Formats: sequence, structure tokens, C-alpha cells
Amino acid sequence: MAERKDFGENDGVIHYELQEFKLFEPLFKWARKKSLWIVAFCTGCGGIEMPPLATARYDFERFGIMPNPAPRMGDLFLITGYVTPKTLKRIIITYEMMQDPKYLLAHGSCPINGGVYWDSYNVVKQLDKYIPIDVAIAGCMPRPEAVMDGIMEIMRKIERGEADGWKRYRENYEYYRRNQDKLFGEGWREKEAKRWLAWI
Amino acid sequence: MFDWRLILDAIGILIYALVVGFIFMGIERKAMARIQRRIGPPIYQPIIDTLKLLGKKESVSHGFIYNFGPVFALGVSITALLFIPIANFQLFSSNADLIVVAYLLEVPMLGIMLGAMSSGNPYSALGVQRGLLTMVAMQLPYGLAIIALVQHWGTFKLSQLVALQQLQGWSITVPALALAFIVFDIVFQALLGLEPFDIITAPAEISMGPMVEYGGKHAALLFTQHAVQLFAETAFFAVLFFGGASNLLDLFLKQLLVLFIAIFVASIYPRFTIDQAAKFFWKWPTIIGIIAVLLTV
Ligand code: SF4
Repeated sequence: MAERKDFGENDGVIHYELQEFKLFEPLFKWARKKSLWIVAFCTGCGGIEMPPLATARYDFERFGIMPNPAPRMGDLFLITGYVTPKTLKRIIITYEMMQDPKYLLAHGSCPINGGVYWDSYNVVKQLDKYIPIDVAIAGCMPRPEAVMDGIMEIMRKIERGEADGWKRYRENYEYYRRNQDKLFGEGWREKEAKRWLAWI
Repeated sequence: MFDWRLILDAIGILIYALVVGFIFMGIERKAMARIQRRIGPPIYQPIIDTLKLLGKKESVSHGFIYNFGPVFALGVSITALLFIPIANFQLFSSNADLIVVAYLLEVPMLGIMLGAMSSGNPYSALGVQRGLLTMVAMQLPYGLAIIALVQHWGTFKLSQLVALQQLQGWSITVPALALAFIVFDIVFQALLGLEPFDIITAPAEISMGPMVEYGGKHAALLFTQHAVQLFAETAFFAVLFFGGASNLLDLFLKQLLVLFIAIFVASIYPRFTIDQAAKFFWKWPTIIGIIAVLLTV
């Protein structure tokens, strides 16, 4: 994955709001709310809660939600359970591949505070330190109703303009980057990229 | 020396095709959902999706060819649309527009692949490879079906084809052409990228294939292209086998018929692997196609 130079600058956000699109912003907000595409990236136990959500019983497609395997097109990133450092690397890379505006929904108690793995040596305790979370759902494991409620909360936040995880990530990139580097060591992105270079 | 009426007609047809194409995409999703006993998204959902993609604040680009791919695909789809007689309106017309349209309808895939290849994503490369193989595989039955049609009606001109069908009954009522219809319908499934032959995008295997790197405004362009393409392909099918149409409502109903055949087939069949698809194309549709051609000689 290519390094993004523009991420380092702290003033990115103010210039970033495209002025000429301000007029259509209410329309786009409505469209964003009505068409959340999920990046199909299932970690931990919660991946198994996705099939009931997608199938006939709860059917999230009636709200325009669609599982989409390509991170470039996705809007909603579901972290469905505990996150190990190895997974976190992939999560960060996927999250940065997604295009603004993007939203992140954390399932269960594990991403919030470690949950039952609170004393485990290889589970990331506080996901919020590494990437910004928009909505977190408590529970171990949240039922599909709770997940649906979380998604509704995201929709409400988008409508009110409060789902601003992507803005926070740009503004506080140094903070997040420092935490990530502390966990994985400096230069982990380059190392990770080098491993895949042979395939590209 | 502008012919203003013609230009307005062309723009009107384009807007109509765009809206109806989006509605068709919505119908496709809705019908699939109903078949799976779900409620499904509203019919105008693809329009919302496209709006959202247009409203993205960021569009990663991988260079000129990457930007050029979707634009090229959209342009070709629009050109193909203008060659098809849609309810007495046909902007371009030549003596062999049947062949022109038949191949213009495949070129957009090449445009997308051009852009996808330049993104350098391995999934894109895999998708492109599969797409090209599918295209090669489906050429033979596709060609045979069209040869059978041309041999029966003795013309390459689409407008003449429509006129002849209105005089002597639809193509599908002729036994030999009914065989060609079956062949064309199988190929049509691959042209639309629907289920038995959705090897190219294969969401669960190679994560959208060529489309994996497209996002934001590029993806919105691709969505628009898909809408126009869907309209053009269904209209082409209706013109070839269901006697064209004299007004838009007639055309719309025939397009819906064609679309629903595709949806029903798509929703009950699983996906072929690429070698199975190539083998299948070169076996049954080809045999039926050859019989159809022999019957029309
Ligand atoms: S919160 Fe419970 S169900 Fe969810 S990942 Fe943690 S242990 Fe598993």
C-alpha cells in the first residue's frame, strides 16, 4: 500500500471539506445514511452474528446496507470482536484504504476494554487508542438486535454530522500513529508492505 | 447546421436510459431479496448508492489509465445505446449496426479491465484474467446466435430487423431462432455478469475482481456505466428476439421480461469456476448454436 503523505499534516481537515459541494451536503448526508456498505472483515467471535443479520430474519439490506468485500468502496467497518496485534495491523491498513467518510462500529466488550481477555498478553485492550471508533456496542456477544441498534445509531449520527471518526483520525493522526508505532515498532508499515510487494 | 430536435432526443433517451437502468438494478436486487424471502432494499437504492459514492470526499487514483478506464467504459456504453433502435429513435445507423452493437456491448468490460490492470492489485489482475477468459469462451455461442439471426432475416440492419419482425412475427416464434434465443440467453447471463457466470466479480472469492481498487467517484462512474449498459443490453435483446418496440412502454415491458428471466436464472444457480464456465460455453450453447445455424441455412 502506498504511503500517504497528506496524512501527516494536521490542517488537512479544514481544507478538506470541498467547498463547492457544500450545497449538496444535505443530499449526500441522506445518501450516506441510506447506503452503508460494510467491509466484510470479520475478526473474533462476532463474524458469526453477521449471517443472521444479512438473511431473512433481520435483513439489513432493507436499510441499504450491503456487505462489500472491497475496502475502497466500503463505508462501514465492523470490528466484530477481539483484536490481536496481528489483526490490528490488517485493520489499520484496511481502515486507511477506505475512503472518507468512513465509519467504524465496534462489537462487544473486547474492543472496548478487553472483555474476557482483559489479562491476555496478546489481545489489544483498547481499540480506541489505535483507530477512532464511532459507535461501540456492549455485550458478549451482542445479539443481532443490538448490532442493528448500533447501526441505527450510526445512521442517526451521520444525520446529525457526529460520526466524525475519519475527521478525528486525520486531525489526531500523530497520536494514533504514535500508539501504533509503540505497539508494532517503528516502520512496521514498510515491513508489512515489503512482504506483499512480490505479489504486486 | 445543428439538428436541435435530434440532440434533445438523444439527451432525453440518455436520461431515460440512465433512470430506467438504475431502476432495473434496483429491481434486480429487490427481486433477488424477495426470492430469498427478504424484504430487500427500495427499488431506487442504486441511485442512493451512486449519490453516496459521488459524495465521497476522497478518490484514490492510480494514474491516468486508471481514470480513463471508467470514462472509456461509460462512453462506449452510451455509443452502443445510441445505435439501438429505441422506440423509433435511433441516432446512429449503418448497414451493419447489428455487428457494431454486438461488439460495442462487450468493449466496456475491456475499458474496466484496462483501468483495473493499471491499479496493480493482484485481485484485479486475477479478475481481469477471468474476465478475458469468459469473453473468449462466450464469443463462439454469441457469434453463432447472431449468425442464425442474420441468416434467417437476411439483414444486418437493426431497424430493418425490427420492421421484418413486426411484419412476420417475432424471432422467437421461429423454431430455429428459438434455439438461438436459448443460446443468446445463456450468453446474456455472462454479459450481465449474473450468477452462473459472475466469475469476474466473484465477491466471495476475489473480492469484486477488477472493481476492487475502484472507490469514490470512480465507482460512481462505474455504477452509472452499469446502469446504461443494463438498459442497452436488455434493449438489444428485446430488439433481436421480441420484435423491438414502437413505444417506450412496450420496450420497458419487454426489457422487464428479459431482465426477470436473467434474475430468476441467477438466483437459483451457484457460480461456475472459470474452467467449468469455459467448458460449458464450448459445449452445450455451441452445439445448440450450430444446430440453429444449420436449421436456418
Ligand atoms: S466480547 Fe465476547 S463474544 Fe465478543 S469477541 Fe470478546 S469474548 Fe468474543
